[in-house]
Amino acid sequence: MTATDIRLKPRRRSARPVWDEEPSWLGKTVKAIFLICYAAAIVLPIWAVVATSFASEEALARAGGNLLLLPTDLSLQAYHEIFDGGALTRSLLLTLGLTAGGTALSMVLTIGAAYGLSRPGSLLHRPLLMLVLFTFLFAPGLYPSFLVVQKLGLFDNYLSLVLPMALNAFNLIVLRSFFMNSVPNELLDAARMDGAGEFRTLFKIVLPMSKAILAVIALFYAVGYWNIYFSAVLYIPGLDTQPIQVVLQRMLMSTQGLPGAAADVSQYQTQAPDSALKMAVVVCTIVPIVIMYPFIQKHFTKAVITGAIKG
Amino acid sequence: MAALQTSAPPAPSRRQARPRGRNKRTLAQRLRHDWPLLLLTLPALAQLAVFFYWPSAWNIIAFMDYSPHRPFWENPFVGFAWFERLFANPYFLPALLNTLKYAFANLLFLFPLSIVLALVMHSVVSTKVRSLFQSVVYLPYFFSWVLVVTVFVQTLGSDGLVSNWLLDFGGERLTFTSNPDSFLFLAWLQWAWKDAGWGMIIFLAALASINPSLYEAAAVDGASRWRRMWHITLPGIRPVIVLLLILHIGGILNVGFEQYQLQRNAVGYQTTEVLDTFVYYRSVIGTEGPSFGTAAGLFKGVIGLILVLVANNVAHRLGEQGIYQKS
Repeated sequence: MTATDIRLKPRRRSARPVWDEEPSWLGKTVKAIFLICYAAAIVLPIWAVVATSFASEEALARAGGNLLLLPTDLSLQAYHEIFDGGALTRSLLLTLGLTAGGTALSMVLTIGAAYGLSRPGSLLHRPLLMLVLFTFLFAPGLYPSFLVVQKLGLFDNYLSLVLPMALNAFNLIVLRSFFMNSVPNELLDAARMDGAGEFRTLFKIVLPMSKAILAVIALFYAVGYWNIYFSAVLYIPGLDTQPIQVVLQRMLMSTQGLPGAAADVSQYQTQAPDSALKMAVVVCTIVPIVIMYPFIQKHFTKAVITGAIKG
Repeated sequence: MAALQTSAPPAPSRRQARPRGRNKRTLAQRLRHDWPLLLLTLPALAQLAVFFYWPSAWNIIAFMDYSPHRPFWENPFVGFAWFERLFANPYFLPALLNTLKYAFANLLFLFPLSIVLALVMHSVVSTKVRSLFQSVVYLPYFFSWVLVVTVFVQTLGSDGLVSNWLLDFGGERLTFTSNPDSFLFLAWLQWAWKDAGWGMIIFLAALASINPSLYEAAAVDGASRWRRMWHITLPGIRPVIVLLLILHIGGILNVGFEQYQLQRNAVGYQTTEVLDTFVYYRSVIGTEGPSFGTAAGLFKGVIGLILVLVANNVAHRLGEQGIYQKS
């Protein structure tokens, strides 16, 4: 090993530029403590939730509380109850179905409009774009939206959870600017020369080139549908099977001993300890998000931010 | 005009520059050429027409004595009577004030926190630490409010994890998840937990777009770390800060529904009543009727529209780009 190798080693480990002075140890310590505390404040509660969902009755009783950090004897009772085909299973399946169906519909609407509005100068381009952009400025209000859902006969109908929120104008604009700025024009021209129509161009050239951003937008829609709560409270109060977030809210209300638990919670509970079951439901609502998460992470900054900042 | 228009002015669209002379064609020719584009746009427009523009038009009933039990045209116009009734309602003003309180508290607290987080992260050199921390902090943004409130009650509630620790050490139970006086503090903690990571990511992206040679030049000229931050970093992210401020101010009456509705029973409606919950509890499931709720919603919508236009105008005068830009 030569002298230069030794000198280079520490520098290779950190990417600090040469002109940047090394911070003081005090600054470094303060920064490290700040970051560790912040991360711990986020991770610890989530960990406690997961640990509690596997806890047995005795372990919970010994801890004397709602949450524990280390489950001493693992029990899968809570998960058995969630997946035994009862009310909780139906609720999870409903939420999954809404998420899948809603995301598919949203993507069709968003892709179509984003491509259709990506040619300045085409027929009606400007007025139609203005119709989309106006939705950023004004909100029609809670009651009129409720009234329209009623008039359409969608009250107490699962479609009312999907249709009113099927299009997000922000996603549309982000995708449109991606189509306009990041798909090379030469490719589109070449396709046109070869006689490909708009549909062919969209499916064979534009969409395959936009996979990353399409995935990110789909995931954002999916998270939106998975987290449906307010629309369910507003539009389907009378239906038996509710989205999982509503179920979770009812369980929370009942353990807080508060009035206003909208429905009988006993349909969800049988054997498992109360806290464990509730935390297992929380885990079930987190897991799909955590599974999708690395993907969002990977493409997020690349796709959405660049798309958005480029306008 | 495009959402999130920031930094450098966008390159003029290449398609726009093409010499096509489309305007000289007849309508029929253009229709024959562009019908696939229109067809593709149609489903989204239909969705907007039914679930945005139609409800927007229904706002007219704020000026009528509307009853669902008679034909629409038989409802008499009553001018601003419902708005008078709205302002006279003893619960309306508190709801409006609460909305403003939470909106400004969010703005004053979450913004600086996100910027500080982003600056700290930006100064961390190790990419491993950065990506790990980013993943952790950003994750709760995707959680629903139901989940966030549940986790808070379980950890910080009176039977929660921390309360039990305190009891073990001879302390007392925490009560602040159900204490109206400390609700603002609780809301702050929830925003920090759920949303600060999102703000951080946006500011980090803005920070990454600053040209590193600026820092190098300043360092060579002898500017200290703090001076570089003051003269390069902060001006560099100013457009993003202004843009987010405008978006926030436009949505200032839009503080959301779920966080407040979910904690209404624990904390009490006096503290958690915001405009959206007001409409829901007084009108949708309450006794005040459709016209009253619509008037409250329209009031909120119009104020929001005015605020965003004014904020954008101010931003333009200050020499920033704002959100409006012909695209």
